[in-house]
Amino acid sequence: MGPGQPQPHPLSTPGTFVSRNWECGGRSAAAGVVPVHRWRRGGAVMAAALGLCRARLSSWLPQAVPSRGSHWQSSVLALRASVPMRAQPKKKKKVDVKREQAQKERMKKKIKKLEKTTPELIPIEDFITPVKYSDSNRVRSLPDLSPEETERRVLLLKKWCLFKQKQDNAEKKAIQSMVEAQQEALKELRLESEELYQAAIRRDERLFPFERDGPSYTPPLPGYDPPEGKCVDITKVYTQ
Amino acid sequence: MAACSAVHCGLCHSAMAASRVRWVCTAAAPRSWRLFGAMCLLRLPRVTQPLQKEEEEMMALMGQIELEKSHYSDHEIRKLEEEELLRKRKESAYDDEVSGKTVIMARDLEDKWEQKFLRFKAAPRMTDADESNNRTSLYRKLDRNLMLLVKQKIGNQELWLMPQVEWQPGETLRSTAERAMATFLGDHIEAKVLGNAPYGIYKYKFPRAIRTEDNVGAKVFFFKAFLQSSDLSQAEKKDNHVWVTKDELGDYLKPEYLKKVNRFLLDL
Repeated sequence: MGPGQPQPHPLSTPGTFVSRNWECGGRSAAAGVVPVHRWRRGGAVMAAALGLCRARLSSWLPQAVPSRGSHWQSSVLALRASVPMRAQPKKKKKVDVKREQAQKERMKKKIKKLEKTTPELIPIEDFITPVKYSDSNRVRSLPDLSPEETERRVLLLKKWCLFKQKQDNAEKKAIQSMVEAQQEALKELRLESEELYQAAIRRDERLFPFERDGPSYTPPLPGYDPPEGKCVDITKVYTQ
Repeated sequence: MAACSAVHCGLCHSAMAASRVRWVCTAAAPRSWRLFGAMCLLRLPRVTQPLQKEEEEMMALMGQIELEKSHYSDHEIRKLEEEELLRKRKESAYDDEVSGKTVIMARDLEDKWEQKFLRFKAAPRMTDADESNNRTSLYRKLDRNLMLLVKQKIGNQELWLMPQVEWQPGETLRSTAERAMATFLGDHIEAKVLGNAPYGIYKYKFPRAIRTEDNVGAKVFFFKAFLQSSDLSQAEKKDNHVWVTKDELGDYLKPEYLKKVNRFLLDL
């Protein structure tokens, strides 16, 4: 209901001005006698006019032709404008409620459309170089590398590659042997007792999350008194 | 022997299902192996290991490359500007305009920081226990894992082993291992046991003299735990236990036992 909805063509709805049933927000208008103004303002007038017409009908023949109600009326169509509004109580309740609801829905739709845009991306501060570090005076001036130096570096990288490969293989072998030992132990346990085996392969819920401080370069100093102070966290927190 | 048979009877019901599948002829055989739960308690390293030669060279190279690829920082720019200023002032034989103000140079700041660093004395990486090779101390070899070994009487021999205790029916093997740990180190030990499953097994048959139908040998299941509390005030007599690294295990353990134990210990 409302101007947003398509209105039927006035000529397509047959019916007389009088015999039409005026529902709330009735948009349908009689053929020919359609008011020029939009029904919004005319609705009340229409209702009043209908009431007046109906009141007169009882004494008149059912005719479609509007005529002067009284000799004070100068024009026929002026009825609609000059009729006092107190003829029928204004049916504002239903119409208004519907109108307000329609308005709210329109607003909500608009808001949803606005919100549908992609959320603003959070900037990664590590990837943004501050402008002051792109000055030319910041560029370090060092002597170029000699060919011997580059040669040494390449050979060192190759040695490192081999070293790391050996280390990694040793680790993998150790892990493999650990897994094998455990499997063997579980097999033997199963041979002994099914119940103990089931208890052993059950997941230990208390193990994770497992936290431990890693080793440092020097062991902790006994009786060390750290300096007084407070750390204030100034990291920028972004919300989308 | 009576205790053994009682243990076996308690276990035979659970062993029945397995035994029926495997040994058709001896359907009602009681358990022939005694079960033990042993705990391998590890003290994790407190200090990083020293770098190897390749690692040191690589670290130096990485530092060099990082320096070459970097730009000057604010502190370095300040230092360069101040050097320029000083040089100009010397060349032009200026009279000090800034005699009234005391300007803190970047060089002075660096000196101050250096002094402060030298004044701080960190704890040494090689402790006294290292020097005296006191194997009962926990503060030896801070960069390696230390394992607990105790001297126990098995049969009629005194042997060095991981603390172990016989399994009682009605408890899981993990709780047996925890009990073993508690008997040797007291109740207030805090250790994180790594899971319910055993890490390794050592199976041995009793010498022929003691061996019977019911009592062929013993199976020792090892469990691993990380030591978390560092106070061992309730530890027993000093000559009974020892904390050793993986390399030193060979000094104490029998070869077969050592072989099985080495399989589940990471080489650190």
